[in-house]
Amino acid sequence: MQNHINMNTNNIIEIQNVTKRFPVGETEFTALSNINLKIQKGEFTGLIGPSGSGKTTLLNLIGALDIPSEGEILISGKNVAVKSDAESALLRNEHIGFIFQSYNLLPVYSIFENVEFPLLLQKKSKAERKEAVMQALDWVGLSDIANKKPSQISGGQAQRVAIARSIVKKPDIVLADEPTANLDSTNAYKIMDILKKLNEELGITFMFSSHDSKVIEYLRRVITLEDGKVKNDETK
Amino acid sequence: MDTLYNIGLSFRLAFRNIISSGLRTWLTITTLSLAFVMILFFNSMYTGWEYQGIRDQVNWEFAQGQVIHPAYDKLDPFTIESGHGKYEKEAHLTPVLIRQANIYPDGRMVPILLKGIPADQQIVELPTQLLKESKANIPALIGLGMAQDNNLKVGDAILMRWKDKNGTFDAQNITIAGIFETNVPTIDAGQVWVDLEKLNQLTGLQQEATYLLADAEYNQTTNASWNYQDKEALLKEFYELIELKRGGSSFLYGILMLIALIAIFDSQVFSVFKRQKEIGTYIALGFTKKRVTFLFTLEGTMYAFIAAVVGSIIAIPLLSWLHEVGIPMTSNVDQSRKMGITVGEYIYPLLTPELYTKTVFWVVILSAVISYLPVRKIAKMNTVDALKGKK
Repeated sequence: MQNHINMNTNNIIEIQNVTKRFPVGETEFTALSNINLKIQKGEFTGLIGPSGSGKTTLLNLIGALDIPSEGEILISGKNVAVKSDAESALLRNEHIGFIFQSYNLLPVYSIFENVEFPLLLQKKSKAERKEAVMQALDWVGLSDIANKKPSQISGGQAQRVAIARSIVKKPDIVLADEPTANLDSTNAYKIMDILKKLNEELGITFMFSSHDSKVIEYLRRVITLEDGKVKNDETK
Repeated sequence: MDTLYNIGLSFRLAFRNIISSGLRTWLTITTLSLAFVMILFFNSMYTGWEYQGIRDQVNWEFAQGQVIHPAYDKLDPFTIESGHGKYEKEAHLTPVLIRQANIYPDGRMVPILLKGIPADQQIVELPTQLLKESKANIPALIGLGMAQDNNLKVGDAILMRWKDKNGTFDAQNITIAGIFETNVPTIDAGQVWVDLEKLNQLTGLQQEATYLLADAEYNQTTNASWNYQDKEALLKEFYELIELKRGGSSFLYGILMLIALIAIFDSQVFSVFKRQKEIGTYIALGFTKKRVTFLFTLEGTMYAFIAAVVGSIIAIPLLSWLHEVGIPMTSNVDQSRKMGITVGEYIYPLLTPELYTKTVFWVVILSAVISYLPVRKIAKMNTVDALKGKK
């Protein structure tokens, strides 16, 4: 697999004493409090819990989209919180894929171009890009609609495009924030089947945030958050 | 290489983004390209006028410079009386003597400037050979404007009264030997040209001149006590007039430009507000905030690029055609000439590479600045909120 972080340990993600506070008026709201977790390479893990428990906040911290108020988040042993804007961007581009609840496809680009986007940033050649995009679209079963625009496809298809975009660069980690929340159950199962297959066949580490029982069914490790704290950490 | 690749990629993305924005884009581009065409049109018209004016004034009036008697000030008619003197003859200098006189066409008294210039001169385009060819006692040349104002034609004899060097009035008939047509009113309006030798005789001012026309080889060694002004100094007032006119017309295209820039500003504010989710997605996919800011600034600037292309497609053939056929100035030319402004019957707009480059440069720079102002906000944006599209 290309672009993978050279690992000395099996822990691809280490969360050490992480606390995250947000200012609310003149006071502060503690979204995460003293979290400690280790995620190994190839895990299929989910953060579950009620709304406001801190699932998405933790996912955003792991994805270097935000920085913790206290503690460290190590991706392959390197603290992402101390990275510069450019280094964080490079980390996201090369090692982390994102799947969002509302797909976040770029509306003016075709499906092919949306999936191709991360590879453009990696300066891959046209031939390499085409091959990787078609392979990713094959994985999610959408190679026949590559030329359509996001506005021309269904929600289930849009989320599959988002999955293709997240795995096209063969990342080490894919962070999926409520990936099935906007989908009906047929599509939700289809999406989870695809993600599980990608985890098993490509060895990509998946980390979810969800309170959807259909997602939880698929998880091999379930971390329950409540009021910003780890309430339970269970491996099936 | 990386920087070039990144800039190239940003250009591609920006182009795609604005082309996909639909009507808003095309309205902005239309206004901006209209402003662009107007700027080019007015400026090339003034540039064309400037070129024509310089050429005409140099060819008809100023030559390559003038050596002026120290007591003569062309803006002060009272200095004509004493502003003349003996000069050193030189091959590169052509003398001109100015005296005040009156003519009496149809019994009316018309004050004139009586100017003497050698009939065999070739330094200016005045058709002075007609003075040589004429058999009349005092052959004279006048401009078309002067002829029309006084109802004069070739062959007419009119009484002229002048003062000689002792202040004694004398009068004789002059004969119109030729009427010349020029765009330079300052050698036409209220002026009568005669052979210098004849004027020297009529006034008794032998080998005297008010100023000397210099050719390109004059090296300022003779007549050093007189004031030498090169053609650039003589054209100063004309340049000032053109700049004044240019400034006046800039108000019109300034308004258009302002509307276009406001449209760009508005588009940018709208983009930052409406496309927060897209901004967050770019960052999640590996863009830095700086790069997203650059992309959005480039999108705004791209309006100017496209407007310059569209504007060039309209302006270049249009101005090239107008350069060939000219823009008729018939409604203004008489008034302008009466005011002493050098203007032709037609103005031939001239779009120079310098003017074109300067216009493109300023339109793009202004658009870039205006585009950047609203998108600075991206640098302070919370990525997580942006991803959710939070307003």
